[in-house]
Amino acid sequence: MTEILLSAYVLIWPLIVAGVLLVLVRAFLREIREARKDGRPMI
Amino acid sequence: MQPLDLGTPLTLVLLFVFFGGTFLISLSIGKKRENADSYMTAGNNVGFGISAASMTATWIWAASLYASATSGYTYGLSGPIHYGLWGALMILFIYPFGKRIRSLAPRAHTLAEILHARHGQSSQLLLAGSNLLGSLLSLTSNFIAGGALISMMSPLSFSTGILLIAGGVLIYTLWSGIRASMLTDFIQVCAMLGAVIIVVPASFFAAGGSSIFADGAQNLTAQQRSFFSSEAFFNQGAPFIAAVLAYAIGNQTIAQRLFAVREDMIKQTFVTATVGYGATVIGVGMLGVLALYLGIEPADGDANNLIPQLAAGYLPLAFLCLFFIMIIGSLASTADSDLAAMSSIVMTDIYGRNIAGKTGAKPQLMLLIGRITMIAATGMAMFFASSRFDILDLLVLVGAIWGALVFPVIASFYWNKVNNSGFTVSVLAALAVFTLVRTGWLPLEGTVAIITDLLSVVGIGVIAGLMIFGFFGLKAGVAAALAMMLVTLPFAVGFLHQYPVLTASLLAYGVSAILCVALSWFNKDEFDFDRIAHHAGQFDTPNT
Repeated sequence: MTEILLSAYVLIWPLIVAGVLLVLVRAFLREIREARKDGRPMI
Repeated sequence: MQPLDLGTPLTLVLLFVFFGGTFLISLSIGKKRENADSYMTAGNNVGFGISAASMTATWIWAASLYASATSGYTYGLSGPIHYGLWGALMILFIYPFGKRIRSLAPRAHTLAEILHARHGQSSQLLLAGSNLLGSLLSLTSNFIAGGALISMMSPLSFSTGILLIAGGVLIYTLWSGIRASMLTDFIQVCAMLGAVIIVVPASFFAAGGSSIFADGAQNLTAQQRSFFSSEAFFNQGAPFIAAVLAYAIGNQTIAQRLFAVREDMIKQTFVTATVGYGATVIGVGMLGVLALYLGIEPADGDANNLIPQLAAGYLPLAFLCLFFIMIIGSLASTADSDLAAMSSIVMTDIYGRNIAGKTGAKPQLMLLIGRITMIAATGMAMFFASSRFDILDLLVLVGAIWGALVFPVIASFYWNKVNNSGFTVSVLAALAVFTLVRTGWLPLEGTVAIITDLLSVVGIGVIAGLMIFGFFGLKAGVAAALAMMLVTLPFAVGFLHQYPVLTASLLAYGVSAILCVALSWFNKDEFDFDRIAHHAGQFDTPNT
């Protein structure tokens, strides 16, 4: 039981990082689309 | 265990791909649109995706990845939490102050510029000077980390490594400033986060999976096995809580992104960066915990070698390359932010608001000054890094200056009675007390120890009070400060002075807050905050 919990403790962080990366990439792609649609630079 | 060496050709190819890619991305920024304001704030209109990625990438520097793993190795299970969690929460706690600052000065370029509008020259230069020094030291630290990594993982020398990193970062940041820094941060954060997603689980499973914890349990002390280790809290967590609030306020790289992001997206940007930073740094810290369970001894006794050792020992070459890119990404993203920050400070606080005066600043000359600043800063950081200059003490000193600045800076944005003399005197006095304690010139014994413990309790109250004040207002902040002081008082007196590093940091907060309040309380002049937006504005005309 302890081994499973400790394994989860180690592996939960990359999982959260994956979630954050997904949020960032989706937002970035949306901003690219909106910028192109409006004919303005992204940054 | 396979050797760490990637070989010269592969190392150069990886660096070429990384810096070549970032350089190509920076070329996509239209040069015709370049002006002084955009160079520093990217037009105050950057979207959530780039801003959050940039905030995350900037806050994660190479040292934080190494230090988190070292903390995991030294303090066990709770070590990475005591490094990463507090660092992450500080991004969150700075957010309400960021919103306030942005509302007071929507078009400002630096925090010091706002202080110039609020108080005048001496307050501005105190903050600008500490910002410059801090960014130069951060830049140096990242060059050292890059040189060390390249010399460890290839036959190339330490100095060659520094040269490659410095040249690579400068080449893509020089032309477009913060815009290049933020846009390339997105790619760099993808590389860093992607590497964490792969390298941490791959190392875990390659090293034996969950059986590591049964087989290696005897390698840990009782404190290292505990999630509530007092050793980890007092040696790692508590000093970090005290330091990071100061780093977030005193760090122009964070302020610069605050001024760049679209105003309605400040909250989600800070929240996402909080989660992204925390999970990434704690995740890498788990490599240190694994090394502890596996009984790995750091090569040459240097804990910074732990992550590369673990990667080299258990991962195939492709993953080792990914690890290399992760570290290069972390140091490049912070180094380019430091360059952009230093150029903004010199452009705005040295030239724009002091040498040229209110209306005399020439935007094109400012751009030239900004680029010269970047080149000069890169040269200085390379010199310090190549000389193996010991920057640790200087970093501590800069952290203390920022600790002394936190309360007066925040109070200046909310309380109309704080004036220039109250600000300057409280900061300088706090800095003097910090220096006396941190250097050991003032022995913490007898009555002195009791007084410093009492003042440290005030410092604890100030930190807690500021955190709560940002989110819930003055009454809640004062209540939290008093409650925290009452709770800690019985334990702290006669105890805290045994931790001089922590005591010195807390004194910086406590002394500056007491003096700032005392000197401002009876001040009859009340500042009109609407003046700030007028005095801290654009240098270019809107259509330049």
